[in-house]
Amino acid sequence: MSKRILNHPTEKETGPKYWRSLGQVADTPEFKSWVAREFPEGASEINLETSRRSFMKYMAASAALAGLSLSSCRREEKNLVPFSRGVEWSVPGKAIFYATSRPHRRGAQPLVVATYDGRPTKVEGNPFHPSSKGATDIHSQASLLDLYDPDRSRHFRHAGNVVEEKDFTAALEALVKDASDGSGIAFLTEHFTSPTFRRLRDDLAKKMPKALWAEYEPLGGEEARLANEAAFGKGLRAIPNIAKADAILALDCDFLGFDEGTLEGIRSFSQRRSPEQAMNRLYVVENRYTVTGGMADHRLRVQAGKVGAVARQFAEIIASKTGDESLKSVIAKFPQTPAFSAEQGKWIAESAEDLIAKKGAVLVLVGYRQPPAVQALVHSINAALGALGATVVGRKTSSKPGATIADVSKGIAAGSVKTLFILGGNPAFNAPADLKFAEQLANVKTVIRHGLYEDETSLVLRGGKQSWHVPAAHYLEAWGDGRASDNSILSQQPMILPLYGGWSEIQLLDFLLTGKKSEGLDLVQETFKQIARGIDTESWAKFLHDGFLAGSQAKAEALALSAASVADLAATFKSSEGFEIVFAPCAKVDDGRNANNGWLQELPDPITKLTWDNAALVSPATAEKLGLTQDQKNGLFVSWLRIEANGDVLEIPAMVAPGHADDSITIALGYGRTFEGRVGGREGNYMSHGGWGAKKSGVGFNAYKLRTLAAHYIASGAKVSKVPGEKYILAITQEHGALEGRGADVIREATSETHKHEPGFAKDQHWLHERGAMDAEAEKRDKKGYPIPQSAYSHPELKDKNHQWGMAVDLSICTGCSACMIACQSENNIPVVGKEQVAEGREMHWIRMDRYFVSNMNDREEKIGGTHLANVNEPRMVMQPMPCQHCENAPCETVCPVNATVHSDDGLNVMAYNRCIGTRYCANNCPFKVRRFNFFDFNERQKDKYFRWNLINEKGMADTLKMSKNPNVTVRMRGVMEKCTFCVQRIQEAKIAAKVKAKDTDKVQVPTDSFQSACQQACPTGAIVFGNTKDPNSAVSKTKDNPRDYRLFDYIGVNARVSYLARVMNPNPKMPDAPKDAIMGHSNGGHA
Amino acid sequence: MAVHAASNVSEDGVVVLHCPPELEREVLVTHDRSLNWITENVSLICEERTPKWWWLAFLIFSPIALLVPLLLGYQVSNGVGVWGENQPFGWAWDITNFVFWIGIGHAGTLISAILFLTRQKWRTSINRASEAMTLFAVMCAGLYPGFHVGRVWKAWYLFPIPNWNGLWQNYRSPLLWDVFAVSTYFTVSVLFWYVGLIPDLAMLRDRAKSKVKQWAYGIAAIGWRGGNRHWQHYEMAYLILAGLSTPLVLSVHSIVSFDFATSIVPGWHTTIFPPYFVAGAVFGGFAMVLTLMLPARLLYPQIDDMMTRNHVDKMAKIILLTGTIVGYAYLMELFIAIVYSGHFYEYNAFYNRATGWYAWHYFAMMFCNVVTPQIFWFKAMRRNYIVVFIACQFVNAGMWYERFVIIGTTMAQDFLPSSWGHYTPSWVEVLTFVGTFGFFLTAFLLFMRFLPMICAFEVKAVTPQADPHFEPRQNDHSASKEAAAAH
Repeated sequence: MSKRILNHPTEKETGPKYWRSLGQVADTPEFKSWVAREFPEGASEINLETSRRSFMKYMAASAALAGLSLSSCRREEKNLVPFSRGVEWSVPGKAIFYATSRPHRRGAQPLVVATYDGRPTKVEGNPFHPSSKGATDIHSQASLLDLYDPDRSRHFRHAGNVVEEKDFTAALEALVKDASDGSGIAFLTEHFTSPTFRRLRDDLAKKMPKALWAEYEPLGGEEARLANEAAFGKGLRAIPNIAKADAILALDCDFLGFDEGTLEGIRSFSQRRSPEQAMNRLYVVENRYTVTGGMADHRLRVQAGKVGAVARQFAEIIASKTGDESLKSVIAKFPQTPAFSAEQGKWIAESAEDLIAKKGAVLVLVGYRQPPAVQALVHSINAALGALGATVVGRKTSSKPGATIADVSKGIAAGSVKTLFILGGNPAFNAPADLKFAEQLANVKTVIRHGLYEDETSLVLRGGKQSWHVPAAHYLEAWGDGRASDNSILSQQPMILPLYGGWSEIQLLDFLLTGKKSEGLDLVQETFKQIARGIDTESWAKFLHDGFLAGSQAKAEALALSAASVADLAATFKSSEGFEIVFAPCAKVDDGRNANNGWLQELPDPITKLTWDNAALVSPATAEKLGLTQDQKNGLFVSWLRIEANGDVLEIPAMVAPGHADDSITIALGYGRTFEGRVGGREGNYMSHGGWGAKKSGVGFNAYKLRTLAAHYIASGAKVSKVPGEKYILAITQEHGALEGRGADVIREATSETHKHEPGFAKDQHWLHERGAMDAEAEKRDKKGYPIPQSAYSHPELKDKNHQWGMAVDLSICTGCSACMIACQSENNIPVVGKEQVAEGREMHWIRMDRYFVSNMNDREEKIGGTHLANVNEPRMVMQPMPCQHCENAPCETVCPVNATVHSDDGLNVMAYNRCIGTRYCANNCPFKVRRFNFFDFNERQKDKYFRWNLINEKGMADTLKMSKNPNVTVRMRGVMEKCTFCVQRIQEAKIAAKVKAKDTDKVQVPTDSFQSACQQACPTGAIVFGNTKDPNSAVSKTKDNPRDYRLFDYIGVNARVSYLARVMNPNPKMPDAPKDAIMGHSNGGHA
Repeated sequence: MAVHAASNVSEDGVVVLHCPPELEREVLVTHDRSLNWITENVSLICEERTPKWWWLAFLIFSPIALLVPLLLGYQVSNGVGVWGENQPFGWAWDITNFVFWIGIGHAGTLISAILFLTRQKWRTSINRASEAMTLFAVMCAGLYPGFHVGRVWKAWYLFPIPNWNGLWQNYRSPLLWDVFAVSTYFTVSVLFWYVGLIPDLAMLRDRAKSKVKQWAYGIAAIGWRGGNRHWQHYEMAYLILAGLSTPLVLSVHSIVSFDFATSIVPGWHTTIFPPYFVAGAVFGGFAMVLTLMLPARLLYPQIDDMMTRNHVDKMAKIILLTGTIVGYAYLMELFIAIVYSGHFYEYNAFYNRATGWYAWHYFAMMFCNVVTPQIFWFKAMRRNYIVVFIACQFVNAGMWYERFVIIGTTMAQDFLPSSWGHYTPSWVEVLTFVGTFGFFLTAFLLFMRFLPMICAFEVKAVTPQADPHFEPRQNDHSASKEAAAAH
C-alpha cells in the first residue's frame, strides 16, 4: 500500500523548536510514521492511488448501499446516456430535418423527415418538391411506425433457422459463381421505380441474359398499360391535368384517394373547389363511396361491372352530339350493354350534355381497376371531348413490360425456375388464387426472399431446405432513390443505421453483380452520375438537400389516339351479370403491406369508419334482401356473409354502407393475414369481452382467396348468402352517421349559385332562427360577423397581444382522407388502443374525422337492422375534421375541480397532465366531445393485457417504439385526459425563437406563418389553416375573413377558436339529383 | 266513564275536552307501554344472544361487501377501463350510483333535523336507524367520486392542501363544491347521530354485564350521567346540530345537482335540478328507510309498539308528497325543454330520453317514481306493510333509473351526432354496485346488533304516560292497566 507522503517543511536547525507532542520531541518511529500519514490511522487506509475516480466510485457504492433498503423494492432504473461527445448540429430538443423519399407501389413520395438525436420521429412532405409542397398521405405519415416495428424481420434465416449474415453472403457468393448465364434464375419483384434498382437490374440482365424478370403488384396497372398502349402506342401513357378541367367525370376512379390519386392531383382539384374562384364540377360514377365520391357534385352509384356500360352510354351521347368519327368507330366495336333506368339515363344524358358544353376543358378519368376495354374507351371519349393536349397529356413510360407473376408460375410448373429471388411483395399471400403460388414455392429449389417482415411468403419458405430469408432495410435506413409522380428523381437518404441489420434491395442486386456487399450510397451515386451526367460535391449535396434532382421531371408528350387499336381492345369488353364482388384497395393497409402498422389499423376508414377489420360492404337494399342486420352496442354487431366466387368460399362479416350500389359487394384487400405480426397478424385482434374469457383472432378477412388472374378486380356471378347464427363485432369510431336534423347547424352548405347571391349564408343561423331559438335581429355580432353570446360574466381579453392561435377548416375542400389524423398521432405520441377498446369507444385520436351522410329525407323513417343510418340509398357525404376547438370560453375549464385544464395567454386551452386526476367531467361538458381519456395505460401495456391484474408487472413499450416518440411531447400515462394542443410544442418552439431574437426588448413576434400544426402540414388539400389570428397577414386571419366562415355552437357562447368555411358545391341544376334547397342541408334529416 | 261526546263535565266540575275518536291523534307508543318496557326492549336487541337470522344475514352480506375493496383494487390496479365508460360516456354507473346513494343519505338527517325542528314527534322511533342508514349510504356514495377518477392516488388534489407549487383547486367547479358539500354533510351527520346516541349509550353502559361492554359503551357514552346540566347541554347541542343539518339536507343534493345543472350539456343544463333533486332524495331516502325498517319490525316484533302502522302511514304520505313533486318536476322538465325553451338541442335531449336507445330506462323511471307512489292515496295501502314494502322497492329502483336517465341518456346523445355512443356496464362496476349494497346492509346489521336502534329516551318522552296529564283510559284493554300498575 503506497501512501501519499506529505513533505513538511524542514524545521530550522536553530531558533526555538515547536513541538506537538512528547513523541515529537522524542522523535520516535511511531511519530515519524504518524506525521508521514498526517491523518490518523483508518482514514489513510483508503487506497488513494487512483484518486478522484475511485473516490467517486466509493461514494457511489456507499450511496447505493445506503439506499439498499429502498432501492430493492423499486423497479429497475434504466438510464439514457447522453452523447459523450457532441454531435455536429445536434442540439437536444431540436429536430434536424433530412430530405428523403418513400418508395411505394406507384413511385416514390418526396419527404422531409425530422430526426432527434439520430432518431427519425416525424415524416413530412417535401415542401420544395412541386408534387408534395409539404403535403403527405397517410401511408407516408404512418411509415415511421414501420421503421420501429418490433415485429420486423430481424434475422437472416436459412430453412427457417436463424443464421449469420456471413452464412448468407457465402451462399450467395456460391450462387453467383454458378449463375453463368442466369438460366434457372428468376426474379419476382415489386414495382420499383428506383433508377438505381433499374440500372442494376439492367446490368444484371446483361450479365445473366437468361434470367427471368417478373414484376407483381396486387394492385397494379397492367390493365392501364394495355389501354394506354392501345390508345397512344407503346411507351406512352396518359396523365390527367386536373387543374385545367372545368368538369371532371370520374368513372370508378378514386383520384382523390391515395390509392390511385397523386398529391399533385388532389391539390390541383381542390384549388378549384373554392367558390371564390371558378369552381370545377365533379361527376362520379362508382359502386361504393370513396373520398372522391364524397367530393362529387353529382354521384351515380352503379355496380363496378356496369361502369363500362356507363362509359359506353356517355360515349354514344358524346359521339352523336360531337360527331366524332373515331369515337363512333370505337363504340361500334364495343359490345352492347343493357339499358339504364330512366333516372340513371337522365343522369348520364345531362352530365354528358354538360361535358360537351365545356368541351376542351373537361376530363374523363377511369379507374385502373376497370377492364382495358373500358379504359381505352375512356381515352377515346377524352379525345372526342378535346381533352388530349389540354386536360390530358402524355408521358413516356420508362419501364418496358416485363414478365408477370403468371410467367414465374409457369416457369415453376415447367421446372425451369430453380432459383427464385423474391424482392419485396408478399406473393404467397396476395398472388391470384388460381396460381396457388404458395404451394408452388415449395417446388422451387432455392428461394431467396428479401422482405421487411417474415410474412406469409417467408413462412412458407421456412420449410424449404435451400431457402433464405433476408431482412430488408426500411427506407429510412437505406440509401436509395425513386421517382415521384411527376417522374422527377428523388433522393432517399437514411436517417438511422439499419436497426435489424437489413439489406436494401439494391445492395442485394449489387451483390449478384459484384459478389460483395456495397454501400448503398456508392450505388446511388453511380446512378446519379449517369443521370446527371457527372457528379460533384455541390450537385450531390443539392440533390440530398432538396431531395430531388431539379429538372428531372417528365416532359409532356403529345398524344394521338389510334382509334383502330382502341376499337380492337374495346371489342374484348364483357358485360357482367349477377352479384359482383369488388376487390378494392384498403385506404389504410393498402394491399396488406401496412397490416402491421397500428396507426393505420386503428385509423378509421375514411368512409366506413371501420377499424381493425375489413368487411363486405353492401348497400342497405341489398342488406335487406339478404336479411343482414346490424346492431350497434359496444361495437357493431353484424351478420356473416358467405360468398362463393371463383371456386372458393369466404365467410366475412357484412356491413351496411350507405351509398353503395345494389347487388354489389366491396371487400377491401390486405386483411386476414396469418403471419406473426402482433398488430396485423394472426393474433392481432384481441377481444376479451371486458373480462369474460378471451378470444383472439386475426385482423379482418382475406379476400385474395377469391381473386383470380381473370377476375382480378371484379368477380361477377358470385353466390352470396347470409350465414345464420352468430354475429361478428366490428369496431367503428362513429356509431352514428346521420345529422339528426342538425345539418344546417353543424355542417353548413350551399350551392355555388346561392353563394354568389348570399356569400355570408353560413353566418346567419337560419337553422336556429327557423326554430325560433334565436332572434336574428336581436343578435349582436362582432367585427367578423360572429354572434356575440349574451353572458353573465365579462371575459377579460387574453394577455398576449401579439399571438392568438386559431384554425380555420375549409369544408369545401376537405376530402376526409384522414392524413391529418395520422400526422397528429405521429406528432403527439398518441397511443394505439386495439380493436376491443375502439369498439368500447375509447380510441385516442386527438383529431377526429366526422363523416355524415346527408339526404333530404327524414332519417328516422329509414332504419336498417335497428341502426340509425341516414337516408341510406342516395345520401351525400360530408366530412368535418374535429380537433379541440380551443373555445375562448371553454366549458371544460370551468368544471375541472383541480385546475388541470386552463387557458393560456395566447388563447390555447391547455392541459396540465401532471395535475389531471381524471374526473372526466371536462369531457362530459365538451360540446365537441374531442377530449380523450386514457382508460388503461395504453402506452405502456399490451392490448391483450389490459384486464390482467396489473399493478406492478407487465408494463413497458418496446424499446424501438420508445425511439419513435416525439421528445417534445409528453407520453401520457393512464387516468389522464388528453386532447389536441394545437401542437403547442411547435408554437413554443417558434415563440422561443422569437424571444431569442427579441433579446431584452418586448417585441416578441413570431413571424407570419413561420410554422404549421401537424394536421395542417400533412393536409394534401390545404383545407386546414392554422396560425396567429392577431396577425392580419396570416393565412388563418385571411381565411377567417372569408364570409363563409362560421363557428360551431356560437349560441352556447363557447367562442370556438376553430372555425369552418361552409361547404359550397357546384351542382348542375339540370341534373336529376341536384339539390332543391338554396341552402343545402336546410331540410337535412327533416325534423328532430 | 264513557267517552262519547265532544266535551264532558267531570265529577269535580272541570270541563274535560275530548275529541271524537276519528279526530283523535293516534298514540305514538301503543299498548301504553311503560318506560321500563321501552328500556328493556330497546336494550334487549343489543344484549340478547345474537339471533340465528342475524348470523345468516351477516354471512350473506359481509362477503358481498368484500366485493367493494376487491373490485376497487382491480380497478385501481388496471385503470378505469375495467368499467364500461367510454367516449362520450365520461360518467355512467359511477356517478349514477354516487347520486343514488347520496340521495338515500338524505332521509336520515331530514327525519332527525327537519322533523325535529318542526316538532314532529313521530320521528323519535325511526330517527336513529335512519340516521345510521344515512351515514352508511353516504359512505357508499363517497366511494364513487373517490374511485371513479383516473388517478386515485392523486385524488388528494381535490383538497385545499397547501403545496409547494402553489396550485389550488378550481372553485368554479361543481365537483369541488361536491367535495366540500359531501364531506361537511357527512361530518355533521356523524356528529348529530353520535350526540343523539349518548344518552342511550349510557343506558347500555349501565345495563352492561361484561367488562368489555362496560368499557366500550362507557368510552362511547363520554361520562353521561343524565344530570340536569347534561340534559340542558344535550338539548342545546342537539338543537344547534339540528339547525346546522337542516340547510345541509337541502344543500347537499342541490350541490350534487349542480354537477349537471351548471354544465352546458342539453338535458343537464337546467335550473329545475336543485329542488327536483332534493325532493327526489327525500323520496328515495324514505323508501330506503322503510326498506330497512319493515324487515327490522318483522325480526324484532317488540319494536312494533314503538314503530307502529301509524309511522309507516306517515312515511308513506311523505313518499306520496315527494313522489308527486318529482313527477311534477319530470313533467315540468319536459315542458321547459320541449315547449318553453324552443332550443332544438334541449328538445332533442328529451326526445331522445323518451324514444332513444335508453328509452326503457326513462319509462321505468316514470312508472316507478310517478305511478307507484299514487297508491298511497289510499289509507289501506299505506297501512299494509307488504304493499308499502313492495312500493318502496319500486321507488328505490325508480330513483336509480332516474339518475341513470339523467346521466346516461344525456351522455349518449348530445350535440354532435358523430360522437353519440353506447354504453354497457362491465361486470366490474355491476359487482361493485352490488358490493356497496353488501356493505350497506352489513353495516346496518352491525348497527342493529351493537347500538340502540331506537332512540329510547326520546321515545319515552312521547309515550302517553310521559304526558303529565296522562290518565289511563278505562276502556283500554287490560294490558294497559297492567302497564299503568307497573308504572
